[in-house]
Amino acid sequence: MLYEQELKTFVEGTTNFFEVAAQQPASIGSPYLMEGSPAVHEYTGVINISGKREGVVYFTAPKAMLTVLLMKMQENDFSHETMRDLVGEVANTISGNARRDFGRDFVISVPSVLTGEKPDMPHRPGVRSFIIPINWRSHSAKLVVSLT
Amino acid sequence: MTFSGTERRRQLVTAGIGTALTLVMGAVLIMGFRLATHMRASINALQTASALQAYPEEISRQINSLRDRLEVRAYSGQALADLQGTVTRFDQDLKQLSASGERSPQLGRALLLWHQYGPVIESVVIFNGQPYVDSDTAGSSLSREGREHYAAVKRAQLFASDNAKALQEQLAALATTLQRNSSDAAAHLRTLLLAGVLAALVLAAAAAYFQLTRSRHERAARDAQEQTRDILKTVREGFFLLDANYRIGSVWSEALTRMFSREDFAGLTFEELLKDLVPSATLATATKYIKLLWGERAHENLMKSINPLGQLEVTMDNGHGGKETRYLQFDFHRVMGTEGIKHVLCAVGDITSSVLLARELQESQENANAQLDMMLGMMHIDPLQLVSFLDTAETGLKLVNTILKDPARTDQEFRKKLAGLFRELHSIKGEASVLNLTSIASRVHALEDMVGECKKKKELSGNDFLPMVLKLDDLLAHLRSVREMAARLTALKDTIPGAAAAAAAVEQRSHKSAPPAGAPERPAVRPVEDLSPALQSMAARLAQDHAKCIKLTLSGLGDVPAPYAATIKDCLIQMLRNAAVHGIEAPEVRRAQSKDDTGVVQVLFHKVTDGYELVFEDDGAGMAPETLKAAAIKKRIITPEEAAGMDTRAAMALIFRPGFSTQQDVSMDAGRGVGMDVVARSVYALGGKIGVSTHPGKFTRFKIVLPSAEAVSTAVA
Repeated sequence: MLYEQELKTFVEGTTNFFEVAAQQPASIGSPYLMEGSPAVHEYTGVINISGKREGVVYFTAPKAMLTVLLMKMQENDFSHETMRDLVGEVANTISGNARRDFGRDFVISVPSVLTGEKPDMPHRPGVRSFIIPINWRSHSAKLVVSLT
Repeated sequence: MTFSGTERRRQLVTAGIGTALTLVMGAVLIMGFRLATHMRASINALQTASALQAYPEEISRQINSLRDRLEVRAYSGQALADLQGTVTRFDQDLKQLSASGERSPQLGRALLLWHQYGPVIESVVIFNGQPYVDSDTAGSSLSREGREHYAAVKRAQLFASDNAKALQEQLAALATTLQRNSSDAAAHLRTLLLAGVLAALVLAAAAAYFQLTRSRHERAARDAQEQTRDILKTVREGFFLLDANYRIGSVWSEALTRMFSREDFAGLTFEELLKDLVPSATLATATKYIKLLWGERAHENLMKSINPLGQLEVTMDNGHGGKETRYLQFDFHRVMGTEGIKHVLCAVGDITSSVLLARELQESQENANAQLDMMLGMMHIDPLQLVSFLDTAETGLKLVNTILKDPARTDQEFRKKLAGLFRELHSIKGEASVLNLTSIASRVHALEDMVGECKKKKELSGNDFLPMVLKLDDLLAHLRSVREMAARLTALKDTIPGAAAAAAAVEQRSHKSAPPAGAPERPAVRPVEDLSPALQSMAARLAQDHAKCIKLTLSGLGDVPAPYAATIKDCLIQMLRNAAVHGIEAPEVRRAQSKDDTGVVQVLFHKVTDGYELVFEDDGAGMAPETLKAAAIKKRIITPEEAAGMDTRAAMALIFRPGFSTQQDVSMDAGRGVGMDVVARSVYALGGKIGVSTHPGKFTRFKIVLPSAEAVSTAVA
């Protein structure tokens, strides 16, 4: 069973990114359990976790949100690659936060990036996924935690 | 391993032998010195004695020469001078020999003889006159003095010729004695030197032996130190010693460094060690305990039993810039010296894995026990009824998830979710209570608590809902395991005739596909008649939990049409709960009011002209309008001003307001203020009406009127 503190670590990792990168904090919406197929936006940064817990954590965001985020970060390049790098960077921040809080108990992979609204998301059968909406300005992304 | 005793003994033996040998060497040297001195004196005496041997003959010869010269009237001055010199030297040497301490009898006899020589020689050597007188006639002739001198010389010559040999023999014998003495002394000295050399050799051998032994001991001590270092480096526990000032000593095991992520332990106080890791209250207790350990009178086993640091939760750096919680076990042992407690040995173990494993085991045990209890409880439940509940509960929880999923950003949007969550959860909990599924009821109750906590917060955010969604996941997993258990139980019951159909139903439902995402539909519910035993069971449980006597009579529930079944069931559960908690008094209270100990709850469902009527009545305490108003004011549902303007009817209507409850504390059965509002909403949703009449101290009666079932079916269609 996932613990609240573990969930909070991933959430903080995500919201911290917005706070630091865009100088504008993100808030979280009402969390809920995933039903059916994984809900993803155009860009998704994934980290695989093993050790004490097994599974994936991913941050998925719509292109519009990432564009505004890049603008806030004084970036002029809004290319596909830059968007990919950005979600990868968010996933990296989540990963760093998790390493800091969980230490040696968790083995965390290097982030990978998936694109498109129907990517082949890694999913472990029987593992329930928690979806935490990440609200920033008028946009909304999702943090999905799917761990045993 | 200790060396102090052996080392001390070895040092004492070394010192003893060294001292003894030094004394021996000293004695040998002193004796040798004395012997050498004596030998030197003997040699000198021997030389003198040897030289003296020639003197008697020399004296005789010189006396003869003097006599001859006097007889031939030759010059005798030189001969006399020679004799005087020889006698003086002999006398001096003999006296010197005597003064040297030589006490041999030969010397005595020689001295005696020389003493006899004295007067005879003296008369010769003292002459200083003119022995001759010259005359032209007679030539040189002896003067009177000369004649006397000549006579003295002649006497001396005669004496010397008689005694010179004897004197010479005595002196020769003396020389021989002295030579023998010198030889003896030389032999002694040689022996002494040999003894000295032997003693020196023994001393050298002893020194070499002890040096060897010392080297061996030092090597053993070095080995022991190295072993100690290896032990301290390898051991998984943190070891250190505390002194009387509660300070850590200069040696500690490396595990301590890993455990506390620091290296500066030397001189650190125990308080400083734990200061940043534990809460101040724990630190104060630990410090007091350490002080107690130094009390001579405190029994060690007793102290062990009250050790507050047996399982200490500490928060420390995880080496990645974050914090982690670990569990440490401190164990203390007194190290006793000759003057009482010398140190306190502290052993620190990292028992995090054990604690977590124990927790998991305990949880697993609790789960197993809960499963067993549940299985036993489930054996008394109609399988169809259980499956129906599980379906309803799962659907209810999906509704809860749907409520959570509804996007929210503002406090208002988040707060809006709470009422819906309460209603759904309350309904599930009620049904679980009816079926006596306590593990489900308690989990839902915990989730309700979380919702209740959120309600109290001034500003809500998504973070507040994180624990809820985790609990929801836990609850869904639990429902799944209950369903699996039910399937197994039914398979077991397959052997019982008549249970096959029920088993098939359970099996079929447990494998059915999940309803589609989104707001799920509530499943159809069977007629309420099946609920009667469950309601009786619930009444019995409520009576037991609240220490009351309740008799429940049910009538006409078999006539409840299917469209009303779910609502009637929810209403009855809620009203029965209210009656048990608020209505029926405790037996002693009832007795004081001349009532029967057992409270009666009557349920009557029957058809009326244009529909159905459900009457629920208890003969309990009833409701007083003022009590209801006071409770509503306290819950901030109404203001005191509004309460003042309310009549009895309006006061009674307060019980149907969301959040209303007269109960101060939240319990499993009451206190949340979600219940009668749900009942009223359900009734209104079916186009019905609900009314309440009461008489304080006598009864409370709810009357629910529902339209004909056909009308409802048409409306739904």
